[in-house]
Amino acid sequence: MINFSKIWLIIKREYKTRVQTRSFLLSTFLTPLLILGFMGFIIFMTVSDNEAPKQVIVIDETGRMLEPLTQLNATRYLPINADQSIEQIRELIMEDELDGYVFFDQTFLTEGTPATFIHNGSGGITFFESLRSDVRDVTRQIRLEDNEVSDAIIAIFEERPALENRRLNEAGVDEQSNAFLSSIGGILIGVFIFIGLFGYGAILMRSVIEEKTSRIVEIITSSVKPIELMLGKLLGVCLVALTQFSLWIATYAGVTILAAPVAQFFINQRMGDLQNSLSSMDATGTAANVPSDIDLSFLEQFSIDPLFILYFFVFFVLGFLMYSSIFAAIGAAVDSEQDSQQFMTPVMLPILLGYMLNFRIAEAPDSTFAIIASLFPLTSPINMVTRMLVSNVPLWEVVLSILLLILSLIGMLLLAARIYRTGILMYGKKPTFKELFKWVRQA
Amino acid sequence: MSLVIDVQNVSKHFGKATAVNQVSFGVEKGQIFGLLGPNGAGKTTTIRMINHILNPDTGSISILGEPVSPKSQERIGYLPEERGLYKKMKVFDQLMYLAQLKGLSQAAAKTAIEFWLDRFEASSWKKKEVSELSKGMSQKIQFIATVAHDPEIYIFDEPFSGLDPINSEMLKEVILEEKKRGKTILFSTHRMEQVEQMCDDICLFNQGKAVLQGNLQSIKQSFGNNTVLLDFTGDSEFLNQLEGVRINNRSTNFAEIRLLEGASPQHILEIAMKHAAIQRFEIVQPSLQDIFISTVNDTKVSV
Repeated sequence: MINFSKIWLIIKREYKTRVQTRSFLLSTFLTPLLILGFMGFIIFMTVSDNEAPKQVIVIDETGRMLEPLTQLNATRYLPINADQSIEQIRELIMEDELDGYVFFDQTFLTEGTPATFIHNGSGGITFFESLRSDVRDVTRQIRLEDNEVSDAIIAIFEERPALENRRLNEAGVDEQSNAFLSSIGGILIGVFIFIGLFGYGAILMRSVIEEKTSRIVEIITSSVKPIELMLGKLLGVCLVALTQFSLWIATYAGVTILAAPVAQFFINQRMGDLQNSLSSMDATGTAANVPSDIDLSFLEQFSIDPLFILYFFVFFVLGFLMYSSIFAAIGAAVDSEQDSQQFMTPVMLPILLGYMLNFRIAEAPDSTFAIIASLFPLTSPINMVTRMLVSNVPLWEVVLSILLLILSLIGMLLLAARIYRTGILMYGKKPTFKELFKWVRQA
Repeated sequence: MSLVIDVQNVSKHFGKATAVNQVSFGVEKGQIFGLLGPNGAGKTTTIRMINHILNPDTGSISILGEPVSPKSQERIGYLPEERGLYKKMKVFDQLMYLAQLKGLSQAAAKTAIEFWLDRFEASSWKKKEVSELSKGMSQKIQFIATVAHDPEIYIFDEPFSGLDPINSEMLKEVILEEKKRGKTILFSTHRMEQVEQMCDDICLFNQGKAVLQGNLQSIKQSFGNNTVLLDFTGDSEFLNQLEGVRINNRSTNFAEIRLLEGASPQHILEIAMKHAAIQRFEIVQPSLQDIFISTVNDTKVSV
C-alpha cells in the first residue's frame, strides 16, 4: 500500500535541505562550544566563589568562641575592633566592606540561645552552611573540653570513616563510581532529549505549515499519499537530529578518549621543563620533590558505554516520532505559527513534565515514581534514558518501556495521520478541538 | 470511444455542506474539456477527487479505464488553482524532486526538465531559489513541474488566473500543442472566451451539481439563434423601451440582446431604426457567457 521509494525521495529532500543550511552547521558546532563554555563558567564561578575570602566579624559575648573560630579560619573570622560599635559594623556591611557578623549572646553556651548571623546577602547557602558547621564544631569542642571528656572519646568524635563508592557493572566488576557525576550526566542527557524532541518537533511543525501556506502540498499530494508525505517528513527530520547527535557524541567521545593522553603529555612536558629549569638553576636537584606522575584515571568516568548510546538513540527516535507526529498534525491543522499555540500547550505539558521529573529521577532513580515515569510512554523517552545512566535498570523494564512506547507511537501516528490528511487541504479558520476530533473520526 | 476520465454519480460532503452532488461526466481522449461554474460550485473539489487527493463519499471515478489510485496519479499532470513551490529550494532540484515523485527515474527526469527549461528559455534559472524569481518566472517553473513527467492527461484548475497576457498566450499555445500530440486536457475556468476558443466539451457546475453538459457547439445550437447583436450610434435610451428581451451586454454604442418568449427581432430593428443609426444588426447563437448566466439563474430559481 505504502510506496517506500516515494517516502525515500521525501526523506532525502527533507534531510538534504536541512543539513546543507548554515544554521545546521552553526548549531552543530556551536552548541557543544556553548555547553563547554557554560560549564566552564559554572566551574569558574564555583571556584572563584570559594577563593574570594569572606570576612565575618565575631561579636563574642561568651568570650570563648572567637579564639577557636579564628584558629579554624583566620581570614574569615575577625575580632571586633575596640572602638567599633555595632552600628558602624552594620554600616560597613551595607557598604559591602564586610560580608557580615556573627553575634554570640552571653547565654549562648549556657542556655543555648541561638547565635545570629547578620549579612549582606552575598555568599549564599554554601557559605551559610560552612559557617554553621564551623560554629557547631567549635561549640562541640568547647562542650567536650568543659566536660573533661577523655582524649579517646574526642578522637571518636573527630573520626571520619571513609565510604568508598563502587558500582557493580554488567561484567561483574566493581568500579569506582561517582554518583554525583552520573546524576549530572543523567540530567544533561535529559536536557538533550528534551531540546531534541522539542526543537526538532518545532522545526517539523514549521515545515508542515510552510508547505501548507505555500500551497505546494496540493502538488505533493497529487503524487503521494498524505501519510507518505508525513512519514517522509518525520523520518527526514529525525535523521537530521540523529546526524547532529552523532556528531556531538563523536566529538564528546573523541575528547574523552584523547583527554587523558593529551593531558598526560602536557603535564609530562611541563614537568620536564620544570625539572630542566630547576636542575639548571640548582645543581643539587631540588626538583626531586616535584611529582612526576598525576593520576588521570578519573577522566575515564566521563566515557560513555556504547550500549547506552544505542538505547539513547532508540528512545530518542521513538519519542521523536511519537511527539513529532502530533506536531505534524498541529502544523496541518493551522495556517500560521501563532495559531498553533492553543494546540501546543497540551503537547508541551508531558514533555515539560518529563523534563522536570528528571531532576528527582537523577536523585532517586529506583523509586516507584521514577519507575512509573520511565515506563509511561509520554515521559519515558526522557526519564528512562536518565534512569539508565544513573542506575542499573532491569532489562525487562527497559524492554517494557520500549514496547509501550512503540504501541503509543503507532496509535499517535494513526491519529495524527487522520488530522494531517484533512488539515493540509483546509484553509481559513482555525479548527476547534471538536473539529479535530471530527477529522479523526472521518475514516 | 473509451473515456479517459469517467466520473460516475460522485458526491462529496464536508460536514453538513454538500460540495459535489451526484455529478457524472466523461472526457474523451484527445479532447479539451472545460469545467465551468461560479466560485464554490464544486469544481476544485471534483478536480481533487479526479487527482485522488480527496476520495468521493459515493460514486466512482476511473482514469483510463481503471479506478483512481496512486498509479493513475502518475498519468496526470495537475496544476492547482493556488500555485505553490518550495521558496527556499533551487529551481532544478525542485523540478527533479517533483518529477521523481511522479514516478520518473532520475535520468528521465533530468532529460525532461532540461528540455522544458530550454523550451521556456529558463535554463539559466536552474541554480536560483524560487524566492528569487519573478512571478511570471515562477509560473513557468510551476508549469514545467506539471508537464515534466509527460502525462497522458492534464488537469488545470483555473490555469489562466493570475497569468500576465504573455504567459497566458504561451499557456494556450502549449495546451493546443499538447492536444495535437493526443493528450487529454481538462481545465476549470470562469473565463468564457477561453472556453469558447479552446474547448470541445464542457460541463457547467452550479451549487455542486452538473447542470449542463455536452459538446460546446451542440449546446450553443440547442439554445438557437436567439440573440441580437446591435452596433449603433445615437441615444441608447430606446433599449429600455424594448419588451420581451434581456439585455446581456451594453455599452454606449453596442448591445447584446437576448430574445425571450415571443419577442421578434424585426420589431427590435424597427424601434432601433427610429432612435439611432444602425451599423450592424445580426442574429446569432447565444454567447457562452449568456448560456452560463441564464443556466445558473434558472437553477437558482428552481432550487
